[in-house]
Amino acid sequence: MSNVSVNTDATQILGGSGEVMIELRGVDKFFGEFQALNNIDMKVGKQEVVVVIGPSGSGKSTLIRCINRLERHNRGSIVVDGVELSDDVRNIQEIRRETGMVFQSFNLFPHLTVLENITLAPRNVRNMPKAEAEELAMSLLERVQIPQQARKFPGQLSGGQQQRVAIARALAMQPKVVLFDEPTSALDPEMVKEVLDTMQDLATEGMTMIVVTHEMGFAREVADRVVFMADGAIVEVGNPEHFFTNPQEERTQLFLSQIL
Amino acid sequence: MSNELHLDLDGVPIDVGPRPAPHAAKLSPTAWAKENLFNSIGNSIITLVFGAIFIATTWWAIGWLVDAEFEIVRRNLRLFMVGQFPKEELWRLWLSGYTILIAIGLVSGALAHNTYDLAVEQGVPAERESLMSLVRRFWALIAVMVFFVSFARTLLPYIGVAAAFALVIVSREVGWRMPSAVRHRAIYIGSTLAIISMLVLSGTSKLGGVTLGLVAFFWALSEMGRRDAPTTAAGKLARFAIPLAVAIIVFAIEVVIPFDGFGWEDWGGLHITLFTSVVGIALGMPLGILLALGRQSDLPVIKSASVLFIEFVRGVPLISLLLFSGLMLPFFLPIDFERPADLTLAMIVIMGFSAAYIAEIVRGGLQAVPKGQTEAAQALGMAPGSLQRLIVLPQALRAVIPAMVGQFIALFKDTSLLVVVGILEFLDVASVANNQPEFLGKGLAGVTYIFVAIGYWAFAFTMSKESRRLETKLGVGTR
Repeated sequence: MSNVSVNTDATQILGGSGEVMIELRGVDKFFGEFQALNNIDMKVGKQEVVVVIGPSGSGKSTLIRCINRLERHNRGSIVVDGVELSDDVRNIQEIRRETGMVFQSFNLFPHLTVLENITLAPRNVRNMPKAEAEELAMSLLERVQIPQQARKFPGQLSGGQQQRVAIARALAMQPKVVLFDEPTSALDPEMVKEVLDTMQDLATEGMTMIVVTHEMGFAREVADRVVFMADGAIVEVGNPEHFFTNPQEERTQLFLSQIL
Repeated sequence: MSNELHLDLDGVPIDVGPRPAPHAAKLSPTAWAKENLFNSIGNSIITLVFGAIFIATTWWAIGWLVDAEFEIVRRNLRLFMVGQFPKEELWRLWLSGYTILIAIGLVSGALAHNTYDLAVEQGVPAERESLMSLVRRFWALIAVMVFFVSFARTLLPYIGVAAAFALVIVSREVGWRMPSAVRHRAIYIGSTLAIISMLVLSGTSKLGGVTLGLVAFFWALSEMGRRDAPTTAAGKLARFAIPLAVAIIVFAIEVVIPFDGFGWEDWGGLHITLFTSVVGIALGMPLGILLALGRQSDLPVIKSASVLFIEFVRGVPLISLLLFSGLMLPFFLPIDFERPADLTLAMIVIMGFSAAYIAEIVRGGLQAVPKGQTEAAQALGMAPGSLQRLIVLPQALRAVIPAMVGQFIALFKDTSLLVVVGILEFLDVASVANNQPEFLGKGLAGVTYIFVAIGYWAFAFTMSKESRRLETKLGVGTR
């Protein structure tokens, strides 16, 4: 039973400056026999905030992991800021320099201090001098509001603080887009807010963001566009208002009724 | 003991009586014994049985110790300690030993102060390790040194050992007090002293050259491990090129001049045991790490070479490798090359042996590093090389410290196999002493072998203890 007004077109940019930042065309991803992504066509605009939601196994994490080549897509093309993702190592690293990622399990480097975690990539990848990198790191720590933790080790911080350090670490490379893979799913409830606030500030400052999350409040407040995925395909797309008040597709309605 | 105010469900206060005193933290010995040893019939019986065995054994041991004739040890003390090292050159051993002790003292003092500073910076409570706690920490080594020197027949060794203790304490103090900039370069100071020590021992360039190569290698390694990357092209070149060049030059020298030192053919005793262990560990560890990385390389040649080496060495007993070292190794050298001394070949075997086992241990460690670490580093755009050396390896090595030190301890004891290539190492001195005409057939085997066992135990125990301490310090096993 198809409803003609269901919007499955993920190539419509709904926010930001309107120019295309990331484009996926006909992307398929298989894990052996299992198809994780099914013919994905999607565009993300500069300074747009796209929130991807869906049940587990829907392929949303796989989607963003394909963008920075943590997973290799089997068919189709992915273009990030004009550069097409190929098997060439240098090309992959170029794209990775421009895309930051924040993980569900933070993945901070436990043997380095907070400051070193943040300065590692700029110094090592962009060859930034130590003093400059540390200055940048401190300013980022202030931006995420934990400058006093600079000399501590990640193990000494709370989950919310660790995730904010992870965000600062991603921002240190001055990326063009930041990918968030369920950033608050591993946090205690009282720490979720501080991280979401940080992400909201980031969005307000104009960063292009793709956020995979279950936090519907965040999607409602901050997203320019919401994409609902299930079984590896895009099921419905829309702006937050439409999405949460008037979802068209039955699957979407079912999912939202369970979440909200 | 106070009456606490408890409220029942309706908010009415109920009197639950005085609060019981907390269980006393320290029990008197009798109370402790009663609670832990005799708290049930079964436990009481076990206590009595084991107590009886323990007392009987100790009684017998003390009796034996008092009656035993230690003359055999006294007469052969030099043999036990340094084998047949030329007597007139013994001063070299003392001098190089002292130099090493100074190096150890300086570096450990400096590093201790660095750790202290770091803790203060983080606002974590820190205190300087006192002399008493150091003595407690190394009691086994100190006790065994005193034990060894108690068999000396002249005054000089006593003075020598006392001077050694004093030297370590003083240099640790000096190391602590060094200015911060110097302290952070303590490793270089220590390495220079190690080179000097080896030069004293070898005379000219021979052994010292190898040490130079070792130092250069470790310099290269520690440069690799440094978290701050030099940003200028010159800096980057200096980091790797210089130590590598030095190592290559040294190797070239060594190809021309055979690897040895004063009285090389006659080195023996505890000295050779310690020397071989240190070389085996110091050279085996970097080679082992390289092998482990090579094993997981994508390049087929490197991968197969690594696998071949590891699986061959691990599949064969060390004793057979040593026996064949005299036959096999010369095949790998150029035809008109002077055949190296047996001891040289044996040390190469020990090093290779150690490397193969360490490679497998490190491989386990590499697998233990969470995949998320690699992903995070990749997401930041880091190149695979930097990723390995800055993120994966440090965590991998930290995770396998217990296994690695276990391997070192095993290696230390495996050096006793050097006897099969005709080297008079520590354990063999015991049989040699037993076979001397004046001691033959007197049943003194117990005395000599227990003497040797005490020596091995002291070092192995200290290594094990330090390993546990390192684990605690690095937080292995905690988040």
